[in-house]
Amino acid sequence: MASMASRRPVGVDGPLFKQALLGSLNWLAANHEEVNRLNVFPVPDGDTGTNMLLTLQSAVEDIKESNAAEVSKIAKLASHGSLMGARGNSGVILSQIFRGFARAVEGKSALTPRELAAAFEEAANAAYRAVNKPTEGTILTVAREAGRAATTAAGDVEATVPGVIAAAAAGARAAVLKTPSQLQILRDAGVVDAGGFGLQLIIEGMLKTVEESESFQLDTAAMKPKAAQVALDLPEGGWGYCTEFLIDGAGLDVDVIRGEIEALGNSVLVVGEPELVKVHVHTDDPTSVITLAGGFGKLLKLNVGDMSTQHKRILDSESAAGRPPRANGVGLVAVVAGSGLVDIFRGLGVDAIVEGGQTMNPSTQDMLTAVDGVPYDEVVLLPNNGNVILAASQVPSLTKKKVHVIETHSVPQGVAAVVAFRPERNGADNAAAMKAEAARVQTIEVTHAVRDTRSNGLKVKKGDVIGLINDKLEFAGTDYVEVVNKALGKLGPDSYELVTVYRGEGASDDELAKLESAIRSSFPGLEVEVQQGGQQHYPFILSVE
Amino acid sequence: MVTDSTADLPDDWRTTYGIEVVPLKVIFGDETFRDRVDITDDEFFRRLGTATKLPTTSAPSPGEFADVYRRLAEHYEGCISIHLGAQLSATVQAAQIGAQQVEGFKVEVLDSETVTMPIAFLCKVAAECETLQAAKAAVEERVPKCRVLALLDTLRYLEMGGRLSRAQAMIGTMLDLKPLLYVADREIKPVERVRTRSRAITRMVEFLRGELPVEHVAVMHAQAPEEAETIAAGLRQELPDQEIVIGKIGCVLGTHTGPRALGTVYIKK
Repeated sequence: MASMASRRPVGVDGPLFKQALLGSLNWLAANHEEVNRLNVFPVPDGDTGTNMLLTLQSAVEDIKESNAAEVSKIAKLASHGSLMGARGNSGVILSQIFRGFARAVEGKSALTPRELAAAFEEAANAAYRAVNKPTEGTILTVAREAGRAATTAAGDVEATVPGVIAAAAAGARAAVLKTPSQLQILRDAGVVDAGGFGLQLIIEGMLKTVEESESFQLDTAAMKPKAAQVALDLPEGGWGYCTEFLIDGAGLDVDVIRGEIEALGNSVLVVGEPELVKVHVHTDDPTSVITLAGGFGKLLKLNVGDMSTQHKRILDSESAAGRPPRANGVGLVAVVAGSGLVDIFRGLGVDAIVEGGQTMNPSTQDMLTAVDGVPYDEVVLLPNNGNVILAASQVPSLTKKKVHVIETHSVPQGVAAVVAFRPERNGADNAAAMKAEAARVQTIEVTHAVRDTRSNGLKVKKGDVIGLINDKLEFAGTDYVEVVNKALGKLGPDSYELVTVYRGEGASDDELAKLESAIRSSFPGLEVEVQQGGQQHYPFILSVE
Repeated sequence: MVTDSTADLPDDWRTTYGIEVVPLKVIFGDETFRDRVDITDDEFFRRLGTATKLPTTSAPSPGEFADVYRRLAEHYEGCISIHLGAQLSATVQAAQIGAQQVEGFKVEVLDSETVTMPIAFLCKVAAECETLQAAKAAVEERVPKCRVLALLDTLRYLEMGGRLSRAQAMIGTMLDLKPLLYVADREIKPVERVRTRSRAITRMVEFLRGELPVEHVAVMHAQAPEEAETIAAGLRQELPDQEIVIGKIGCVLGTHTGPRALGTVYIKK
């Protein structure tokens, strides 16, 4: 590109446009993984960056060999190449952007700044036309805003090519940052639009090249790499602060205040009377906003909220009980003890947990409170322990809500029941299905005898390892492996597929590892899954299904 | 008739019904393969098993569609082009733009709104019609009735490909749950979750019972022929007079389902 620096191009000719596109390719190649990371479920292109890069590669493929002097020829090659190589929605739209650009510059050997801006605008128009239902907040919006910014810059009598491209890049960047305010899905995911960001990179790549070729004074290498982070910082660095207050003063000019506030943030709302003005703004810098506003009058009811915290809180509550309301209007309440098991039940969709189990039997009142607390008029209640079932069975008669008690005797039965719950099926049908699934699971509980005893024909000494199958004492021994192997043998492993081991508080890593490998080697036909249950008293609970 | 490789068309249907298949692409790192052209299903799943980074997929380009349409234009006045659901892929869009490049050739691009063999069945239905108009009407009538019920061995691939999150699959937990996913009305939604494959297989057969009457039934699998046969046997008991096709899930769909995926597909009557 050193040879370029000596030229003084009056406009964008073939060689310069070729260099610009190669610059775009380099810049996008260097940053496409960042674009990929802006993935939004369930938008299909989780590989937007890769798709755009491959599309752009295809666009420049033929250009590399071309020595055409006319910009029109290079643009046409780019249009054809991108159309052949277009991948993904963003890639297809990019190909239409090139197509529009090529049409706009048809027959031209070089572009003035004004013609370049017009070509940017036509490129965006072509992209809009290609899409059946254009959506704002996407690459389309970014293309249009880049074009508009370029046209504004080109209106200046002293406009230069780098100046126009710089304006387009700035317009693109600003549009990208605004995409979350235009699309709910981006807002929810806390990202900017990936395709739009990809286009921003492409224009920035052009800018870098063109600036270099004209020995532009700005240190682009130091400045521009931040562009990628700027976009990504929006979600990571926060959503800024929601800043609200009233200005109490005299002769306040709403328009003047709005103008100054707008420079400091977005979502700006400034309304009121000359004596009292209400201000609402989302800003990264609330201090500056407050200082500025303080100059107009006395601030009242100042409220600064960190939207990142708000955002996080929304996410947290969604991941716990605050999921969108269920279609069937049926809530789930489970009696569970042990931090791991609580997480498992929560993760499966249980709305409220009543702490309790083997030795901490919750009262009917505890369960009633939980049932009345969930935001549904119909509730499925899972006692998950034989000692809790009776207390749970009192709940339906004590509440106005319709309550289905599934008589789950153990954690494995409870898990099986919740897994079978379907949010679109009514309460009675769910209860029937959950009951049936719970009955399909076999439970092995492993613990230590608390005293000498004789039970079910077994002589047990205090401290012995004992194994219960479905609440019934079946085996006693000296170590966990022996007892579990016997219990699984008795159930008949051929009839089962999966063993889930819930590891309790009292089991060491070493004991867990030994047990897991023993089951695998004794019963190679069974899948083994280990979960951290964290339950007391039972070093291991096994679910066999 | 034109379709794309995600229709998982049985090989002999191309000649029997005269269907052109435009391949989607699967990309391992720097290598791009055209689905079932540059790579077979078996090779693909072998590579998938050893790949350190998951492959990605991409739609055919508009130019590739234009090439196919141009070729057909030498012999025909028009064609029907039925493709992978637009909610999942840019294929329909690429086909539409490709069609605009070819003048004087009538292309009816139809969005199947679904995946895998229901698309093949739609092609078959269209191929058996006398006119383009009749074919279009027959396909459009059936598009809203196409159903896929899938069992994925793991959600990892679908999640990585961005088609579904764990939350959407009702899997907000560390337990290894197997969701049955239902593709209908342009959506992928979980209808049931189970813990073991054999349970899932039983549920798949039971699920179909609630969907009767149906036509055009297939069992799809990714490297799980024996289980597919088990499901087909179960379906034959429900539908003694219905032919049950057993089909293979191709590379592009396989990228998102992962190995050992199973599915029942059908068109509701």
